[in-house]
Amino acid sequence: MTEIADSNVVAGSGQPAGGPASTAPARGARVAEWVMWYGLSVFAALVLSAVLVEATGGSWRPVLSALIDGSLRAPGRWGETLGTAAPLLLVALGTVISAKAGLVNIGQEGQLLIGAAMATYLGFVIGGPGPLNMLVVLLAGALGGALWAGIAGVLKYWRGVPEVLSTLLLVTIAGQAVAFGLRYDWLLLAPEANRGNRNQVSDQIPDGSRLPRHTLFGNEFPVTVFIAVALAVLVAWALARTVWGFRLRMLGRNPRAAQRAGVSQTKYGSAALLIGGAFAGFAGAAMLAGGGFAFGNYRLVPGFSTNIGWTGLLVALVAREKALAAIPVAFVFAALRTGSGFVGSTGVEGRITDVIQGLLVLALLIPPAVIFIRDRRRARAATTART
Amino acid sequence: MNTPVDSSTGVGATAPTPAVELTGITKRYGAVVACDDVGLTLHRGRIHGILGENGAGKSTLMKILIGLVLPDAGSIEVDGARCTIHDPIEAARLGIGMVHQHFSLINALTVWENVALGDAGRLDPQAVRQRIGEISDQYGLVIEPDARVGDLTAGLRQRVEIIKCLRRDPSIVVFDEPTSVLTPDESAQLFESLRHVVTAENRAVVLVSHKLDEVLNSTDEVTIMRQGRVVDRRPTAGTDARTLATAMVGRQVSLRTERAALGVIAVDDLTEIGDSGVAEVDASVEPALSIRGATVIGAGGVRLLDDLTLDVRPGEIVGVAGVEGNGQRALGDLLSSLVSLDTGTVTAGGRQVAAGRPGAMSRAGIAVIPEDRHDSGVVLDMSVAENLVLVNQRRVSRHGVIDQAALRDFALRMIADFDIQCAGPDAPMWSLSGGNQQRVVLARELADDPAVLVAAQPTRGLDVGAIEYMTERLRLAAASGVGVLLISSELEEILDVATRVVVLHQGRVVGEMAHHELDLERLGLLMGGAAA
Repeated sequence: MTEIADSNVVAGSGQPAGGPASTAPARGARVAEWVMWYGLSVFAALVLSAVLVEATGGSWRPVLSALIDGSLRAPGRWGETLGTAAPLLLVALGTVISAKAGLVNIGQEGQLLIGAAMATYLGFVIGGPGPLNMLVVLLAGALGGALWAGIAGVLKYWRGVPEVLSTLLLVTIAGQAVAFGLRYDWLLLAPEANRGNRNQVSDQIPDGSRLPRHTLFGNEFPVTVFIAVALAVLVAWALARTVWGFRLRMLGRNPRAAQRAGVSQTKYGSAALLIGGAFAGFAGAAMLAGGGFAFGNYRLVPGFSTNIGWTGLLVALVAREKALAAIPVAFVFAALRTGSGFVGSTGVEGRITDVIQGLLVLALLIPPAVIFIRDRRRARAATTART
Repeated sequence: MNTPVDSSTGVGATAPTPAVELTGITKRYGAVVACDDVGLTLHRGRIHGILGENGAGKSTLMKILIGLVLPDAGSIEVDGARCTIHDPIEAARLGIGMVHQHFSLINALTVWENVALGDAGRLDPQAVRQRIGEISDQYGLVIEPDARVGDLTAGLRQRVEIIKCLRRDPSIVVFDEPTSVLTPDESAQLFESLRHVVTAENRAVVLVSHKLDEVLNSTDEVTIMRQGRVVDRRPTAGTDARTLATAMVGRQVSLRTERAALGVIAVDDLTEIGDSGVAEVDASVEPALSIRGATVIGAGGVRLLDDLTLDVRPGEIVGVAGVEGNGQRALGDLLSSLVSLDTGTVTAGGRQVAAGRPGAMSRAGIAVIPEDRHDSGVVLDMSVAENLVLVNQRRVSRHGVIDQAALRDFALRMIADFDIQCAGPDAPMWSLSGGNQQRVVLARELADDPAVLVAAQPTRGLDVGAIEYMTERLRLAAASGVGVLLISSELEEILDVATRVVVLHQGRVVGEMAHHELDLERLGLLMGGAAA
């Protein structure tokens, strides 16, 4: 009898969000709802930003215009934005994979940096002819990132250290380690002849080993962009359609059910962590070999990661752990980054642009939270009715 | 039944002002009406039974009485004065107390600390201890005030709950399904003190239950609810189990399973335990599952399983009886590869299984319907189809890639075979009712032709129809040669289907009886830990 009553609750009451009986119109309504919430909150963030700019003595029109110029409109800028979006997307994909396994890896910034450092080191140690060396550089990056995340994995599965702590703390260590490496020429530092008056820079990646850059309508960007998008599709497919992805999701959603079903937490969990790190490290190597003035211009420098790891983590969060959704989100975040580079020229204080960026990020994070809380409240009301 | 009930004039007709009078109580949750124009009259000096299936509205009605839920319509009168009860504190002020079905005790604290919990102002341990002593003497509820609650048996814990409630000296006491975790012996004790509370103190007592024998044996009058309405209201004297069961279910109860679920067997006549519907299996048959000397030591050195030895042969249903908290969970976890053994072995199909290695038990052909399906049985955020292949994806995949069409076909077939009510294979698991989630688990576990089926509390929280279905499926499984291990704290359920019963006490098997030599008294003693 209960069952009949229950199915009435679900089907009969025009079940709200996410109901099993979501027919085509219900899904349309849901999409419209999402669009509305995003529109509303981004608009609110823009209004707040405008108020802020006006209050600090600027005027909002030129700021908005600079933002758009810097990210899209000015010559060559959207190529720059794409080039920034690619590593963001790569980092986000790795985050998606570890998050699906129920792991909170927040050390992408460090994994990326170590990846770049490893790429630099092995790239020069092994050397070799151009294209082959390029491959070495990229693989070394992935290896470095995986290694760095692997430390957290060993600590977690051998000693039970929460990965959220270890990955975070390893970021700091990574920064120090790379700074150390950049002080000795037997590690990362460039030979004196090649570093000009700078200390603490690596040698430039030789021409033949650099990632090819692609030009489209006068906009230039590294092929990393295509690689990242292809990987996004691959990750989405692997998670949704392969047995491995299925078992990984099971582990993330219910570790005990997974354990009973034969999914080893140690095996799948550390694999997810290693792959997550590998993606971040790969992003680091691709930044190094892909060029772009913002990314050290083919050289490893202190602070090389420039928050790409952190932002990539944010991309994964905003995309709500969906690989394909991460593509547009990565682009938006990249646009915010390249766009705010131009805002400085309007005379608005640099810190204000940081605040604006923060507001926009918040605006992107709020709608999923609102909808999540509301759905849960409705679900809870439905369960109370049940008992 | 030693309190006078004037059955000729009907309930409450000539009585003085009733202690509580509920009229026209209605409560809706969305489209579901939990209580529909319900009336209830409680008198001092009487025990009033409220009988009904799961979801009949009993709990909602009681929650309204103690202020946990506000009714949409209707009035509440306490001692003739109309009132609104907004929260349990207000209810307590009006003299209404409740002993909850699920214990709300803190295991790490002592008895007196638990009793004093929620008091305002300065704590006076001596006074609390003394008050506990007084109540103990007065009602025969003997308890050691300085014992740690975590060390007590379920029966004693309930005693603490009752003392907690009686300490505030309520004039109206509600007992919500009080015997669900007690042994038969503990239940008898409980009803003794309950009777005392009523007769000696002139309190009004409500006993909420879905067990017929309890209501028959210990109440003076009974209100029967079905689907949110009161369907019958009568003095208990002069009625019988069959009448009550029919009123409660709304149709003739004929199937033995249903009567077992309603708790009829234990009272009707013991000859009922004649036939479980499954033949006993000869002891010489090679066991499908064999556990030898299994010991699991939990946190703090507690022996969750203590040298447990158990065999399950193909085609038999072994019932594991016992009061909850005596190792049932650990046994279920062990057979779900969720814990590893400190000593001992598990052998299935003649081969030793590595306990605690992920998936080892299921690969050895041990299927499990877990005690708490949300814990290890289903993934709520995945779809029905995905939950149906949670353990084994081989049948729907090729070279590590899931074949979506095959998955869908398989799910549709299972949904049809097991009559799973859902919006389709893609419906999220959380959208299904408990009974249907249980069917998904059952369908999945049986799909791989297991050698052994472990069913831990498989009917908990299900209603009569779903219970009947589940028991029938267990019988069918046994009939087809599966060795079934039924772990249940509902004795009736075990008596109904098991071909052999073992009793679990403090993590070890303390007794075993074949079906033909079942003896309720001995069973009760064993469950209570008395050597027999």
